[in-house]
Amino acid sequence: MPPRSVPREDRLFYFSLVPFAYIIIAALLLLALSITWKALPALEAYGIDLFLRNVWAPREDSPGDYGLLAAIYGTLVSAFIAVVLALPLSVSLAIAVEELAPKPLRGAIAFLNDVAAGFPTIAFGLWGVEYLVPFLRDYVMRPLYSSIGFLPTFSCEPLSGASLLAAGTLLAFMVTPFMTALIREAYASVPFHLREAAASVSSAWYQEVLLVLGMIKPAIVAALLLGYGRAAGETVAVSLVVGNSFNVSLCLFAPSYTVSALIANQFGNATYYPLMPEVLFAGGVFLFVIGLVINWMGVRMIERVRWVG
Amino acid sequence: MGGSYALLVEGLKVWYGRRQVLRGISFKLPPSSILAVMGPSGSGKSTLLRAINRLLDYVPDARVEGRVEVFGLDVYRENPYRVRRLVGMVFQTPNPFPHMSIYDNVAVGPRLHGLAKSRDELDRIVEWALKAAMLWDEVKDRLHEPPTKLSGGQQQRLSLARALALKPSILLLDEPTANIDPTNARRLEESIRRVAVEDGVTVVMVTHTPQQALRISDYVAFIYEGKLVEFGRTREVALNPSHKLTAMYFRGEL
Repeated sequence: MPPRSVPREDRLFYFSLVPFAYIIIAALLLLALSITWKALPALEAYGIDLFLRNVWAPREDSPGDYGLLAAIYGTLVSAFIAVVLALPLSVSLAIAVEELAPKPLRGAIAFLNDVAAGFPTIAFGLWGVEYLVPFLRDYVMRPLYSSIGFLPTFSCEPLSGASLLAAGTLLAFMVTPFMTALIREAYASVPFHLREAAASVSSAWYQEVLLVLGMIKPAIVAALLLGYGRAAGETVAVSLVVGNSFNVSLCLFAPSYTVSALIANQFGNATYYPLMPEVLFAGGVFLFVIGLVINWMGVRMIERVRWVG
Repeated sequence: MGGSYALLVEGLKVWYGRRQVLRGISFKLPPSSILAVMGPSGSGKSTLLRAINRLLDYVPDARVEGRVEVFGLDVYRENPYRVRRLVGMVFQTPNPFPHMSIYDNVAVGPRLHGLAKSRDELDRIVEWALKAAMLWDEVKDRLHEPPTKLSGGQQQRLSLARALALKPSILLLDEPTANIDPTNARRLEESIRRVAVEDGVTVVMVTHTPQQALRISDYVAFIYEGKLVEFGRTREVALNPSHKLTAMYFRGEL
């Protein structure tokens, strides 16, 4: 709040901003409260089993049997695949932009990257269904299945190709621009005198780059966490390529589900089935909590990249 | 062509874009001597240092003309990382790597250049470098703490130890005492004097005070607007400056 001595018009300006600022915060709190409120009947009916069992047996006349495990598993695993694939891509892209690209090109690549970070996700989804899924099925899943199919993760025959691996790969494409932007910004923030010190002790350029990456390690971890949060919450694109089937399997080629895809697919008809809307709200609570925890950790990590001197 | 000189600079010209910063600098420096580079701010002192170890490679649109030789090695025809291995540098801002322990900050150079064959050998190099920087007694029990816990002056001596750990032939220092307290500054000066005398390191130090130049240097170079207006033995120049600008600078009038 501005001190009392400031001119009246400044105080007026300040107080005119207050409602808008607090509306956002209040809306967030109300959102969290209301989805939890709506989810309560399902939590009462099924208890913790709602998150630990894999069943989806809706009934029209009485509450059916529900357990979200398949969707929760699919959410966590597909987001994990996404960041594992996206991390080397984003670190390489960040280095390429900051170190290798000629100066005029740098701005253009950075601009394209930022545009891609804000691209409509459905466009990724359509591309995924039409091109990525068949490509992965024919050139990645089938060769892996026929060559090293004895490994549990590759042990099932890919059918349509829509699967955890497809969802994870598509999500990797979607979060890479976002993670790249975070890493690139941290890379560029390294003070010049530390860069000069890195140049002075290295015996090759790659060592110098690794030294700089070491300095921004918290930002890389943050990009990983925030990328994970984004991937876990992504909905439409994933629902097109994940296969939408209640599977809990180590095999990455099996069709699966994610919580947000489940909500998006089922919510339209959920009111015909007693307790199904409440179950889907419980899925929403799960996503909210995951998002909150991951993003909180991510933001804490970013705060650790502060330069002294 | 370098003969017995540690450092030979000949016709050195540097531009930043279209602005010329160094306008033809030439001098020769014998081994194990300390050269103090003086001049008003903006005269090109830092640029001269960065032209010697090729840190100018990192300044966008910097252009270099002329010749720099380090013990007969043509700096601009050599791998820049090899040059910097021979020519260590301490900067105006204390800049230990914030993500490494005190020990690792000193060990990083020898590690990256594969100088130590065993853990013991690396330990010995680190201890020697920290002792040479007169920091050993203060940090020997906390080698694995982060350098950010040290004071600014200690951090600067750690930066010196990091540079010394590579056993450089030439050590460049860019106003190393400008940002630290007088006690730490004295210690830093003493270590610099010692590595020159005991280890035969040739030192090129940009200084902001004539007093410091008088205290520690064998030679002084006075740079004004990108030109070397005076170069000679410190005593001779201080007692009998041949250029009016140098005299004014020593009297504190510039």
